[in-house]
Amino acid sequence: MRDHTGEAPVAYARAWRLAARDRPGNNRNPVNTSVAVPLLELDQVSRRLAGREIVHALSFGVARGEVLGLLGVNGAGKSTTLRLIAGVLTPDAGAVRLDGECLHEAPHRHARRIGYLPERVPLHAELSVVEYLDFCARLRGLGTATARAAVAREIERCELGEVRRRLTGQLSKGYQQRVGLAQALLHEPDLIVLDEPASGLDPLQAVRLRDLIRDLGTRHAVIVSTHQLAEAQAVCDRVAILHQGTLRHCGPCTNGEAGLERLFLAIVAGSTGLAA
Amino acid sequence: MSAVWLIARHELRRLVVQFWPWALLAAALALLAYLFLLGIDSFLALAPKIAGRSEAPGVTDLIAIPQLRTLGNLLLLLVPLLTMPSLAGERRRHSLVLLLGAGVGELRIVLGKWLGAWLSVLVLIAFALAMPLALAAGTTLDLGRIAAAALGLALAAGALSAIGVYASALSAQPAFAAALALAMNLLLAVADTGARLQGVVDGGINYLALPTHLEPFLRGIVSSIDIVYFALLAGVMLLLAARQLAALREQGA
Repeated sequence: MRDHTGEAPVAYARAWRLAARDRPGNNRNPVNTSVAVPLLELDQVSRRLAGREIVHALSFGVARGEVLGLLGVNGAGKSTTLRLIAGVLTPDAGAVRLDGECLHEAPHRHARRIGYLPERVPLHAELSVVEYLDFCARLRGLGTATARAAVAREIERCELGEVRRRLTGQLSKGYQQRVGLAQALLHEPDLIVLDEPASGLDPLQAVRLRDLIRDLGTRHAVIVSTHQLAEAQAVCDRVAILHQGTLRHCGPCTNGEAGLERLFLAIVAGSTGLAA
Repeated sequence: MSAVWLIARHELRRLVVQFWPWALLAAALALLAYLFLLGIDSFLALAPKIAGRSEAPGVTDLIAIPQLRTLGNLLLLLVPLLTMPSLAGERRRHSLVLLLGAGVGELRIVLGKWLGAWLSVLVLIAFALAMPLALAAGTTLDLGRIAAAALGLALAAGALSAIGVYASALSAQPAFAAALALAMNLLLAVADTGARLQGVVDGGINYLALPTHLEPFLRGIVSSIDIVYFALLAGVMLLLAARQLAALREQGA
């Protein structure tokens, strides 16, 4: 099953629009059906690391008001794809476009439109939550008053109030993950890129995170990588399944969790010889 | 606030809230204070013997300048310790992505790191300068010469900080970065030793050596060629560090 790999971006965009329009019961984000051009578009993107091709000829996109789930087994190329999208890694071939402009031709200009939570939260252990978030906000070009307001807003939104004065290095994994999420949202980016955001969260926090991502997905373009199919099914409008560095499927979340699981296993097992 | 100043201030803040930079500062100042007291003791023993001579060296020559020369040598060791976490620490903590992903260019990141490190070394120099300046309470100092020496030390600290930041960009291990920076500093310090032993004092190798350019400041001579040397050394190191950072981004490190 290789639905979109190698497609031209125009053909992809058309297929994406049709999929969004025709998705049954897609009333969570009505904006999906009206957006004509994806905010973010990957066009035949490939990248090698340490002599090995990690991702090959990826083409997909995501629009404002949409949550795209990036699925795949370990080593499928999810994190590399997200780093390419976040602008911290440059593609060897192809282009990543934000609003039609190549991200890597002017990475510094586009970076402030992207909020990125990497797989390992980039914390400064010797700073308190407030100090760290204030630094992140100012790094994204927010002024003093705006930064203070943004920090207060994200502390509230990510439920960090009770640990706001504690050092980030002394927080539990779940709180650290939430601090990482807060830093990605401080500057109200157009595109939010979250690499395994539920990692380390307890079940209650995970449910709240789902609600938060769904809420973000109404106003921003959101890309979430996850191993958990139930989580993808719960929060994503569409899923892109990566396997061995190539895009094997990109389409709406239909047929429930069981359908997604069957599709995922068929793709993974199909290439490993396992029974689906 | 510019990104360079923001990163510099952040570097300073991170140093201030940690224990080890204070321990390093205390150890350095304790050593300098001990040497300062030894210098005063020696001067008091020597003073009666040289009193009355027309060209007799004074307190500035016998206490203040040797003290600042010692500080110059100490900086070769201390600056790598202060700069080692600047980029290597970011890489080890996987937090470099925060700077690279924030739209701050590589050169501005490097400049911010360097400025933060340099300012922290300047704090050390300021504390160390307080000792010889305290002698002004009881005697007359050659303040112009001390000012020239302080300027030389500040410029040398800037160049050494740049070397430290470059070394820190080359490794994800702060200890390795410190060792590398120390090796580079020592190489610059002894680059012309062999030539000097053979009587060569005006060769190209002499120009490369760091003491060749620091010593005139300690003698009270502020020369543009020495200022250019330190500025060039810092500039080249910072450009190399920015290139290394760009390469790291390219490699996905």
